[in-house]
Amino acid sequence: MVSARAEKAKDVARKVRERVRATGVLDRSLRGRVQRLEEELEADRQLHRKIAELSDVVAELLIPIQDRDEQKVGQVLAQYRKTI
Amino acid sequence: MTSAEITGEGIWLAEPPSEPVMVHFDDRYLWSFTPSRDGHARDGGTFVPWPGNLVRFLDGVVQIRLQDVAGEQVWWDAEHRFGTSGERVAVVDKDGVPLSIDKVGHLGRSFLETPREIKQELLEATLEVLDVLREECGVDAYLCYGALLGAVRDGRMIGHDSDVDLCYYSHRTTPVDIIRESYRIERIVRAQGLTVTRMSGADIKVVRKLSNGALCHIDIFGAFTIAGTFYQLGNRSGDFDAPAHLLPLGTVTLEGVEFPAPRDPEAMLAFVYGPHWRVPDPSFVHRDDPRGVVRLDGWFRGFRDGLAPWNDVYDQRAGEVGTGPSDFAQWVGPQIPPGARVADLGAGTGRDSQWFHERGHRVRAIDFSRRSFVRAKQIAGVRAEQVQLGDLRRTLLLGARLARSPHHLYARQLLGCLDAATRRNLFQVGAMGLRGGQSMFLEFSATAPGDPPPPDPAGLVRRLDPALVAEEVEASGGRIDYLVTAEGVDMFDHPDPAVCRMRITWPHPKEKD
Repeated sequence: MVSARAEKAKDVARKVRERVRATGVLDRSLRGRVQRLEEELEADRQLHRKIAELSDVVAELLIPIQDRDEQKVGQVLAQYRKTI
Repeated sequence: MTSAEITGEGIWLAEPPSEPVMVHFDDRYLWSFTPSRDGHARDGGTFVPWPGNLVRFLDGVVQIRLQDVAGEQVWWDAEHRFGTSGERVAVVDKDGVPLSIDKVGHLGRSFLETPREIKQELLEATLEVLDVLREECGVDAYLCYGALLGAVRDGRMIGHDSDVDLCYYSHRTTPVDIIRESYRIERIVRAQGLTVTRMSGADIKVVRKLSNGALCHIDIFGAFTIAGTFYQLGNRSGDFDAPAHLLPLGTVTLEGVEFPAPRDPEAMLAFVYGPHWRVPDPSFVHRDDPRGVVRLDGWFRGFRDGLAPWNDVYDQRAGEVGTGPSDFAQWVGPQIPPGARVADLGAGTGRDSQWFHERGHRVRAIDFSRRSFVRAKQIAGVRAEQVQLGDLRRTLLLGARLARSPHHLYARQLLGCLDAATRRNLFQVGAMGLRGGQSMFLEFSATAPGDPPPPDPAGLVRRLDPALVAEEVEASGGRIDYLVTAEGVDMFDHPDPAVCRMRITWPHPKEKD
């Protein structure tokens, strides 16, 4: 009895799966999600170069500036801190 | 002999062989291809187009021989006339030295045509660079690719090769740290007085002039392991156990000179060239894992996209570009106050830079292509600069310089050549450099109803939606003062059904204190 019910439930589930699959909604949804994930992953990859470029500018320009005119750079940095 | 047809476009073979085909011009090796890989079906046979950088040489008469690697099988051997010239076709550089196409499609002097003493000079230059990498930069640098292959096969440089490649193994494990290490290495190499070109975030190229006038290129590629996958630039990626097969480094001997090499060079060659690496194949091209290439592109590349094809455009089609001022320049001209400075971004042949200069403006002609830079430099009174807008460092420096020395920014048909990240950099330049009230003038091919064809040169320029560009401008703090989309012309002054013109300003940010 239990087995027959289980079989019926499985049959219903199979029919539902087939109907959903026939509409293509799930497929389209998954494709869309994978595409979005790929785009977001690509944007994330590109951040590596951007961070490297920015940190390079900071390390190479800001620090030498600090060495040369500490007082003035201190003022600039103080002003910069106020704006963020 | 097989039935073949040779034209200015390429080579058609009735019965294409499955093995590599070596192309000789007047008994000199020029190029090799594999029909099934490099060609496509046409008229019952296979058609293989000439490489783009060869086309400009194809005018005149030449004996063409198509043969196998060993020269035992000859498929074609006959004189052919290209174009209208009665001269012999000469694929040579400005010093008259013969050139050939290497495995990555570059036109250069191959080692077949290189005298022994010049090879020795190149090897000494390579050793010097290796010394800088190992002693000054402190990295594990080694001989790789064709030079390693030649050393292991028979201790000699491969005839069809044209450069020497070095790699170093980085112990960094995230792309951002690998890029920063590469910047550090570049500075140290430059500090030795060497000329360096950055090719990506993880590889640079040292260019040296040899005593015969030839330029030799020594590539310095980064290699590293990220999340268990080994990567080695160019584009190699996959399973390679660096601790087992690479380090500590061993040595190989090339042309009698000892070089540092992977600890297990055979394992490296099998990783790079596959299991048949011992069999010579001049037409070999790498079949890289596309997943690895996508990762490497995303992490390290982007700022040089399109550079090589743009150089081809300037080499082959510069004559098609008008010489007087463009319509857009004549529209912009009256909007710029007399004596104001102008920066022509994406200056191309410099036609509009010259015109602005003639109108009394001080002009900077800026382009990412060296071909454009060389052309613009020849225009009296115009200051030429080579700037890659895809590199945020260069963009920030340009913006800072323009902030100190205000210019109006002029960019005709530039925007459609840039990806979204580079467009953001361009607008960053505007935001930094135009705080004094100057304008940025843009003209680009626009999307339009009916989906007009892509602008010329195809594949290098795309249409952009003016609404998307407007969003990007606003996101950068800019304000569009004028926008119109109408019929216009492309880079070559050919009719274009939809061209957008914009005038943009960036209001000075209000100081809070």
